[in-house]
Amino acid sequence: MLKIDHLTKRYKDTTALDDLDFEVKPGVVTGFLGPNGSGKTTTMRLILGLDHPTKGRATIDGLNYADLKAPLREVGALLDAKAVHPGRTARNHLRALATSNQIPKARVDEVLEFVGIASVAHKKVGSYSLGMSQRLGIAGALLGDPGVLLFDEPVNGLDPEGIKWIRDFFRSLAKEGRTVFVSSHLMSEMAVSADQIIVIGRGRFITQGSVDDLTATAQGTVFVRVSDPPQLVSLVKNHNGTVEEMNDGNLTIGGLTSDQIGGIAFNAGITVLELTPQRASLEDVFMDLTADSLEFGSSKPETAHHE
Amino acid sequence: MSKNENVVSTAKSEWIKFRTVNSTIVGIALLFFLTIGFSLLITLVLRAHWDQSTRIDKLTFDPVSTSLVGVFFAQFAVGVIGVLFISAEYSSGSIRTTLAAVPNRVRLVTGKVIVLFGSMFIVCEVVTFVTFLMGQAVFSGVVPTASLSSGSVLRAVILTGVYLALLTLLGFALGLILRQSAASISVFVVILLIVPLISLSFPESWRNDIERFELGNLWTSMASTTTPSHLFTAWSAFAALVIYVVAFLAAGTVLLQTRDA
Repeated sequence: MLKIDHLTKRYKDTTALDDLDFEVKPGVVTGFLGPNGSGKTTTMRLILGLDHPTKGRATIDGLNYADLKAPLREVGALLDAKAVHPGRTARNHLRALATSNQIPKARVDEVLEFVGIASVAHKKVGSYSLGMSQRLGIAGALLGDPGVLLFDEPVNGLDPEGIKWIRDFFRSLAKEGRTVFVSSHLMSEMAVSADQIIVIGRGRFITQGSVDDLTATAQGTVFVRVSDPPQLVSLVKNHNGTVEEMNDGNLTIGGLTSDQIGGIAFNAGITVLELTPQRASLEDVFMDLTADSLEFGSSKPETAHHE
Repeated sequence: MSKNENVVSTAKSEWIKFRTVNSTIVGIALLFFLTIGFSLLITLVLRAHWDQSTRIDKLTFDPVSTSLVGVFFAQFAVGVIGVLFISAEYSSGSIRTTLAAVPNRVRLVTGKVIVLFGSMFIVCEVVTFVTFLMGQAVFSGVVPTASLSSGSVLRAVILTGVYLALLTLLGFALGLILRQSAASISVFVVILLIVPLISLSFPESWRNDIERFELGNLWTSMASTTTPSHLFTAWSAFAALVIYVVAFLAAGTVLLQTRDA
């Protein structure tokens, strides 16, 4: 199990992580969600002992990363897919990695085959596309058959087929009882690929829960089509509801449940043609949660919609 | 059976990394080309003009160091090989993959030093012996020659190879400290070339005391069959060079442990 224990990291005068504290459990895919610059990569680097924490620590089954006897056999990580010597072939890169942790040579060809780059394994990594580099990075993470896997923004650069593949792959890793910790700034991606989600913003823990838990906390809206829209609008306003959207008599109403709206319409003698509760999307929840913590806020939060 | 990472596995891994990049192959090819090429050129010119040499030139002539003159160029080739062995990991970002696989920084540096010194020692000895023998072959019949059967000649040739191998480690240590190829190579060149120029501006009385510590003069000491009066003996020069290398490596290792990767 991966434990982030009151982790704080300061670089000169900026605080990258501020008393971050959570656990990542085995057997499920845990999404690590936050806007760009919120500290996801810093957290990953601290887990791997690449950076030194200002306070607190990150442990794997109770141990600091530096104290692991054969780290690649316990933790597999993909931080930056392009962080490979461009002049070395993929196979040689993996062989060097495997050798350092006494992982048998045969395993190198196994993982190359598994991620689907065996046919180009003799080529220099510098000639790889981002998608191929991602696959090589995943191969490197799998090399030691580790129980804990960390992936920093793994879907970047993958084609739709690759994204589908990687989602299924995360699930199967989790099903095998491994701890799978995947960061992303794309909530839509996390909504489909993660079971549990940890949300951070500006280096601080914001919330944690399943996708359902998170969306349940946010209030949804109700879509209504009625015979007399103007009358319903004024009634809704009297009942402290809000009209989010209105066109051609189709209303989207917030602040009231579908039951309440149905009752209001019935009492006023308005014919209800359609009445549909709409759940908040994870994206809406995420925007609400992190609105205050966007490091580089813009008037239109583009990070939330770009995919 | 638990298989853990240890210094042997680290060295094996570093050996794969060392021999699987072009910069190593090109660097070693360049090392051979420069050392042998320049030595051949200069020994041939010397042989052709030996008749015209002055008496004093002939008296102070040293067939050992003269035949090894190409080593002057070899110094830069080995320095670059040493620097790139670590700085390329920083420029590509692969240092983070390396440290994730080998979190023990001291073990990582030890593994890299074993591989770098071990392989470059062999390469540098081969290149100096080949260059020496070639030079004597060029000289033979016209210019006085030296023979490896003389203990001091053998020592001079062997220590020249050792000098180059240790210089590789100095380049590596600079790369470890500065983490940037261009900066590390620049500093290496400054130490090798510019520092001796600066010392020229010191008063004559100090210069002898300072100059013997310069890298080039350490090599002169290590490669000479006699001891020039103002320089170290061959073994003292060797000891001084080892101290430099160890000091720089220690500084680099401490920085590797304390800095964020």
